[in-house]
Amino acid sequence: MNQNMSPGRGRLLLAFWLRTAIFLVLLAAAMFYTLHVLSPKYDYGMCSMDNLYRQPDNSVDVLVVGTSVAYAGVNTNVLYEEYGIASYNLCSAEQPFWISYYALREALKTQTPRLILLDTKPALYDRDYTSSGRIIMSTYGIRSLENRIGAIRACVESDAEALEYLLMFPVLHSKYDSVTAEDFIYPLTNGGRGQDWKGYIEEDAVEFHRKPSFTWNSVRQNLNAREEEYARKIFALAQEENIPMMLITLPNPDYASEHMYVNALYSIAAEYGITGINYNDPSLHYGLRYSTDFADWQHLNVKGSMTLSRQLGADLMALFDLPDRRGDVAYESYQRCADKWYAIYPGFESSGIKEVEP
Amino acid sequence: MSILSFEFLCFLAAVFLAYYAVPLRLRPWVLLIASAVFAALAGWQTAAHIACVSMITWGGALELAALRGKPRTGRLLLALLLTADLGTMCFLKYYPSLMGLNWILPLGMSYFTFQSAGYMIDVFRGKAKAEKNPLRTLLFVGYFLQLPQGPISSWQELAGQLSVGHRLEPVNAVSGFTLMAWGYFKKLVIADRLAVTTQALLTSESLPGWFVLGGVILYTIRLYADFSGGMDIVRGYSCMLGITLPENFRRPFFSVSVAEYWRRWHISLGAWFRKYVLYPMSLSRGGAALSKFAGRFLGKKTARSLPSALATLTVFLLIGIWHMASWNAVVFGAYWGVLMAASILLEPCFKRMSTALHLPRKGWMTPLRWLRTMLLVLLSQFFAFTPGPQAGWALLRAAFSDWELTGFAERWLTVMPTLEWVIVGAAIAILLLADALTERRGDLHVRLAKRSILIRWPVLLLIIIATLVFGCYGSGVDSSAFVYTQF
Repeated sequence: MNQNMSPGRGRLLLAFWLRTAIFLVLLAAAMFYTLHVLSPKYDYGMCSMDNLYRQPDNSVDVLVVGTSVAYAGVNTNVLYEEYGIASYNLCSAEQPFWISYYALREALKTQTPRLILLDTKPALYDRDYTSSGRIIMSTYGIRSLENRIGAIRACVESDAEALEYLLMFPVLHSKYDSVTAEDFIYPLTNGGRGQDWKGYIEEDAVEFHRKPSFTWNSVRQNLNAREEEYARKIFALAQEENIPMMLITLPNPDYASEHMYVNALYSIAAEYGITGINYNDPSLHYGLRYSTDFADWQHLNVKGSMTLSRQLGADLMALFDLPDRRGDVAYESYQRCADKWYAIYPGFESSGIKEVEP
Repeated sequence: MSILSFEFLCFLAAVFLAYYAVPLRLRPWVLLIASAVFAALAGWQTAAHIACVSMITWGGALELAALRGKPRTGRLLLALLLTADLGTMCFLKYYPSLMGLNWILPLGMSYFTFQSAGYMIDVFRGKAKAEKNPLRTLLFVGYFLQLPQGPISSWQELAGQLSVGHRLEPVNAVSGFTLMAWGYFKKLVIADRLAVTTQALLTSESLPGWFVLGGVILYTIRLYADFSGGMDIVRGYSCMLGITLPENFRRPFFSVSVAEYWRRWHISLGAWFRKYVLYPMSLSRGGAALSKFAGRFLGKKTARSLPSALATLTVFLLIGIWHMASWNAVVFGAYWGVLMAASILLEPCFKRMSTALHLPRKGWMTPLRWLRTMLLVLLSQFFAFTPGPQAGWALLRAAFSDWELTGFAERWLTVMPTLEWVIVGAAIAILLLADALTERRGDLHVRLAKRSILIRWPVLLLIIIATLVFGCYGSGVDSSAFVYTQF
């Protein structure tokens, strides 16, 4: 700065820099809010990560990490209502392992789950990078720059592209034509579910499917190298944090025949002492009806999620030492979430447990 | 590094902080280093070319000053220097396009070449002192903000400002920042949105004539928003550093004559050609002889105007060719040249006619004169962007045929969704409103800088957020480079 500065000019410059700083803060706030309004929300968006920050620290016992088949299949309300399991779905649509890895790293900053369930669906993905912007935008829920940058850089091939996602250009361009009143509400309403929501997203439709007629065998086929790289990172992270992990393969009729990739993932997981449950094996009878329990070609509907979650809850209680949190004041938000959900879906019933497919 | 990129914004922020962090005497060095970095990032061709032109200009100017007592030798040297300077530019600019080669040309070559040529001519004429410090010449030629698309400044306008450090003036900083933000709005929200629209309107063969005409009107607005937006960015940032760059646009759509239009459009280019081509040609001995000769056949007044009309025709042909090496450029230049030359030669007739018909200069004639001017401007645009004269004529025919109104709404929406039309329409309305206010009350950014923060900040925030949300930028969005960067 100029050495021969008069006191009047000094004050003038001080006021200028002060006003500039305040303006920049205001600009940052305005941009933050604009990005909030324009960010993709709910199912494929950033909500489950964003809402995890609003859960009390170390309150999640079972953290489910994965794709849309996991957020539509693992019914956190059923797990709590029927088994007292405090679970949370940290999932987004088509979430590859590289996003899961950074999302998990971020989640473990505030949560110390007793178990991590990892959805095996990404084992079927054959892409080296994430080409779909909406999937990359799901990383916007991650608050820490380190993990967000890591996730975005893992998604795209070039740093230039990563920079655009980091600066949220795609958000700014893609949403203004479909903004609703709900988008302006801060914090996120999570599709009207509020902050008690635990990441389960129900699918209401019913789509008829036939039970796949094949036998799950042990044939393996290498999964995509990058998916494998990040799956290994996830396994190593769980080991490092000393948190038990289990793979979970959700029912997925159209992909049932591609089980060789899932087998490969199971064998990789075995190297880390990690096992899993394959609910996509048609020979496994837990009451799932292919004719009524699917919303589309891969997602369970409400009824299907209840059926699966009842079995999952029973399996988890049998395999792990999970506490029953029902009645615990600290877990009231789970009760509120479940109550709210059951009030919306009173007529839905599970297809039953151990019921044999006709 | 595009001036629309995030990297460029970071670069500007770093230069701004560095400029005001160092003592006054070191501030020109910051500009020199910034210019060197910018040129290097633009490619070695740019950096090398700027360095060569600067050294030729520096050495040439010193020699020209030394030869001031020997006009013939000085003139010969000047001719040599201009041939080297302008000749290299012409070679690099036209040879590849004539031969179908794909050369990487130095960024801003035309602009800094004209600038250096103007300086050498001024030194020869004794209107500028020859600079002894080569680094000052280097900064004058390669000042990074002028590289993308000018303006073309004279030595007298710019060199002095660049060679001294400027104190931070809050009003300048705020007004410059506002002008910059407004420039980005014009470029990203209006010009780049219209780039997509006009592309759709002007390349579709199934749209009726008045859609094509609409496309040409929007293209004209786009060109203005694009070029003047870029100018606002560089002028605004320079203003933040305390440097005043010449204005390149003065609301051309408010012109009521073609001559006024060209005094308001690409002002620095017009000024350069006026100063170094038009006046010397008009006032040359040849011009006087021509005037004398023509006086025998034409009236005295007309004959007196003939050299000036011919010089104007030449200047516009050169301006046309300066844009690109194509026949369209010749048609474009000839169109304006003939129009301007005719208006000079026929001025006495027009005056007599106006007097006889009692036509006022102002009042109700103003909108008519404006309409006439805009129609003439519009007509020239048919040859401004088409690949050749035939394509220009074809587009002109298409614009005035098949004025089918049925299915208007459906066709309207095939070009762009309704919301996009609303955004473009609102942005253009804001642009014209701002121009109208500036025309009546002076520069809005300067006025805004002096207002309370309660008015200034919301306006600035609105401009920035609107640009971020509605601007076309980033991959996957049809953002385009500045149109005038290619020239």
